[in-house]
Amino acid sequence: MTHSAENPLHHPEVHQASLSGYVANFLITVLVMTAALWLARDNSLPAGSLVGWTSLLALVAVLVQAYLLLHMNWSKAQIWHTVAMILFVPLFVVMIGLTMWMFHGLYQRTAIAMPHQTMAAPMHPAPAASAAAHTVKAA
Amino acid sequence: MSASTNTRMQPGSTVLWEKGDAAGHDALGTRTFGFWLYMLTDAMVYAALFAAFGVLAHNAGLTSKSMLASVFDAQAAYRDTIVLFASVLAYGYAMVALKKGSRTGVAIGIIVATILGVIFLNMVTGDLEHLFSQGVVPQLNGFLSIVFTLVIYHALHIVVGVLWMLVMLMQMGRDGFTSNVVYRLINLRIFWHFQAVIWVFLFVFVYLQGKVI
Amino acid sequence: MFVHLQGPWNPVWGRLSLQAIPYQNPILVGTFLFAMIAALAIVGAVFYFRAGPYLWREWFTTVDHKKIGVMYCLLGLVMLFRGFIDALMIRSQQAMAVGPHSPGYLGALHGYLTPFHIGQVYTAHGLIMVVFAATPLLVGIMNIVVPLQIGARDMAYPYLNALGFWLTAAAAALVMLSLFVGNFAHGGWYGFLPYFELPYSPGVGVDYWMWAFQLSAIGTTMGSINLIATIVKMRAPGMTWMRMPIFTWASLSTNLIALTSFPVLMVSLALLGLDRYFGTHFYTAGQGGNLMLYNDLFWVWGHPEVYFLILPAFGMMSEIIPTFSEKTLFGYATMVVASFAIGGVSWGVWLHHFFTMAAEPSVNSFYSVTTMLVGIPTGVKVFNWIFTMYRGRVRFELPMLWALLALFLLLVGGMTGMMNAFAASDYMWHNGVFVVAHFHMMVLLIASSIFGAVEYWFPKVFGFKLEQRWGKWFFWFMVLGTAWVFVPMFILGFAGMTRRLDYVPVTQWAPYLRVMLVGMAFYVVALGFFVAHLYVSLRDRMKNRVGADPWGTTRNLEWMTHSPVPAYNFAFIPRVHARDEWAWRKEHGMANLGNESFEDIHMPRNTGVPVLLGALSFALCFALVWRIWWLAAACLGLVVLVIILRSFARKTDEVIPATTVAGVERAAQDALASPARG
Ligand code: HEM
Ligand SMILES: [Cu+2]
Repeated sequence: MTHSAENPLHHPEVHQASLSGYVANFLITVLVMTAALWLARDNSLPAGSLVGWTSLLALVAVLVQAYLLLHMNWSKAQIWHTVAMILFVPLFVVMIGLTMWMFHGLYQRTAIAMPHQTMAAPMHPAPAASAAAHTVKAA
Repeated sequence: MSASTNTRMQPGSTVLWEKGDAAGHDALGTRTFGFWLYMLTDAMVYAALFAAFGVLAHNAGLTSKSMLASVFDAQAAYRDTIVLFASVLAYGYAMVALKKGSRTGVAIGIIVATILGVIFLNMVTGDLEHLFSQGVVPQLNGFLSIVFTLVIYHALHIVVGVLWMLVMLMQMGRDGFTSNVVYRLINLRIFWHFQAVIWVFLFVFVYLQGKVI
Repeated sequence: MFVHLQGPWNPVWGRLSLQAIPYQNPILVGTFLFAMIAALAIVGAVFYFRAGPYLWREWFTTVDHKKIGVMYCLLGLVMLFRGFIDALMIRSQQAMAVGPHSPGYLGALHGYLTPFHIGQVYTAHGLIMVVFAATPLLVGIMNIVVPLQIGARDMAYPYLNALGFWLTAAAAALVMLSLFVGNFAHGGWYGFLPYFELPYSPGVGVDYWMWAFQLSAIGTTMGSINLIATIVKMRAPGMTWMRMPIFTWASLSTNLIALTSFPVLMVSLALLGLDRYFGTHFYTAGQGGNLMLYNDLFWVWGHPEVYFLILPAFGMMSEIIPTFSEKTLFGYATMVVASFAIGGVSWGVWLHHFFTMAAEPSVNSFYSVTTMLVGIPTGVKVFNWIFTMYRGRVRFELPMLWALLALFLLLVGGMTGMMNAFAASDYMWHNGVFVVAHFHMMVLLIASSIFGAVEYWFPKVFGFKLEQRWGKWFFWFMVLGTAWVFVPMFILGFAGMTRRLDYVPVTQWAPYLRVMLVGMAFYVVALGFFVAHLYVSLRDRMKNRVGADPWGTTRNLEWMTHSPVPAYNFAFIPRVHARDEWAWRKEHGMANLGNESFEDIHMPRNTGVPVLLGALSFALCFALVWRIWWLAAACLGLVVLVIILRSFARKTDEVIPATTVAGVERAAQDALASPARG
């Protein structure tokens, strides 16, 4: 590393930095997050559409960040970074998606009580066999 | 494409061995690529944590509604968001200064980013302490376990980032922009900017959606 | 903050006390004596030959990818031996403890191992064989071969490479230590929840298991980053993607699997750690925990992991078979695609390890189908190897024998894997020894490829060939052992025998269990032949010296430099003109290594920091296992400090002057009195 003759400041990865890009990223993501906060402000939206819309906004923010902050593009300096990310993203989706799918059905089939319905659930549910060893010192 | 069809050359005129520094590799690019791979493994850690979040959210109802409301304080999280994004912007400014080779510019950017990072940490730990003092702790149930784990794991990254920025200030002061310093500044940029990306997921999927799932 | 423990604890020693030393157990005392004698012999030899400084300078502090690879392989071999002893104990216990009238010894009701003891033995066996034997051997060989195959002087990050090795070694040492201080987990190598939670497993066994596993996962992840970056960024000029040797392709795909999947293992273990240390409720039964979440996360890693193990083995077969068929590999492109297809599919099949979870039928069907899909690319590979041999001049030298054994075992293991893939049939034998037999076919396939690869690349690394006579005896006794142990195991699997039994209640199974014990005897004999093989080879090493290309029909870049490979690999970086560059050069009469007018070469400098970090991580994990908080905090602080301080180091490189290079090259050429065939 220390023996490369060229000036490291001329490296293309140094020259990716762009003030307008970073400022634009800041403005857009703050705006998008503000919008998301506004949607969630008073629980007026039904749960389904709140989840849907805020997730969409998250997607927008992350895409903007990927492009402007992480410089995901096809330039010679960045192409393998981008390829590596493209390799990972489907795996995130596969892992989270399939897991949710599996457990959604599992919860129904094994009929574990869904505490959603009983919102006044006790703060300390019935002690499991583990209670003795799991007592917690004041945190 | 069999072994011998793609090139036919005369033994005498074929270059078999590279003389001089012809085979020089892009050392800086190699460094940042490896670090980016590490960053992606960290993303995978978050993905696994979010999968756990999805599974354990089924039992969110074990937590009382008021307790959930105090855990998922969207306003507080929004305030954190702005501070973190601003810190990321400040680091971005340092990177722009790096392009011009301006040491003061880089130092100012990093110092501002550090201060904002510390403010972020201060706010997050303050919120956590408040919750813990009210008895809202990760040990209450599975859902709270994963929520706190996600938040604390992210905060730990901020701690590491702040430490790293201090180290870089020292190394830059000592060595100037050597290739070691420059690649580390770029890796730190990847690291720091990545925290903003992760925070988007935390803010939206945990703080905003946590109450309704 | 931390959970209350049931047993004694004090701030200085944590849970550690003299009771942790199992001196009442004669087997462990015997093991301890054996280990001490071995250790004394080694230490004594080091002092006698004054080898300490040499070892430290040339090996412990090395950042040379070949030496690190060799150390990985040695670690793997040592742990393979330990795992083999475990296997002997399991098999002999099960052969003895059959039926209500079987006698008991050493405090056991039946056989000679108490349930608690044999539980530790099979847990350790599984973990060791997967994580501390197979993985280091494969990683070691990739470490040695990949930079050579792509014409690089070292890995992308030599320092990280050493660190990865020392972390793995520290983890292995932790497992070994659990023999003599405390105990090991006894619920199976992949963990059982909520059984592994603190209330049900209050001892330190699970903690040893967890931290050793975690540490090795970190080491392997580092290794995968390194290999991927090396392959992507460090290839010699002219080496386009489709000219890359097939083993390098296999290494790339396999390390992509490791890179993506190991983080998930870390999470699955870390959440268990949070449960055990902080009293959270990720996997608890009740209080909103979900014990199946553990299985889910674990096997998200677990299945890709088995392909992480097998893809390099496939790569080894793909190198050996063409060399000894004297032909180019059949279907190079399809081989590449198949490797990546296997890697991709392996990410979508994990539920087949817990079909019996009671997921919906649609879920089970989905995973059945995806599991079976793996058969397609695997089949492509099998046919490619067969067509490579077809009409080739097949030479049955030792590497080739091992590769063919691997091919055969792949068929058996693959077919039985397909049988497991049917959710309906898997319900019948899940958690039975049929499954165990299935994956042992696979794992033995990997072992066979490793032995083949060691035979194949050994001369490259050490400059002399291994002898063939004892090696063949070793090979054939391994074949015998495998047949005698695992054919009965498949039968017992169909008969309904469950795995991990400390006592076998069905008397009619006794004959099969005894046949398996005979198989183990064959393995023991094989081990003896292996030792003889090594001994004779070392003794006759001067007779068996070889030149750059010991097999005569090799095809890739690693054979274009001297054997043993000089520290800088290539005096000049080769320019690549074709796939199978070396074969191409030989074909075109350009196969000379002779170079004049050498140049200075920059190489990374040796450093003791990785050893130090390995030692600190070992102490850190030990402190965590015994809950010695002050020690843990101190070690963690030191780790951070050492990392930061090291980043301030300026002189991390050194120059090998041209005159030294010239000297090394000339010496290698002089030694090369008689180049082998070709
Ligand atoms: C043709 C490809 C393969 C298929 C279809 C397949 C299928 C399966 C299935 C369905 C199981 C679960 C059985 C059960 O627990 O009831 C299983 C277990 C297992 N397989 Fe495979 N497998 C394949 C290849 C491999 C390979 C290449 C390896 C190793 C390198 C391997 C190692 C294992 C291991 C270690 C287990 C059991 C782990 C345990 O329960 O301890 N398999 N296989
Ligand atoms: Cu599997």
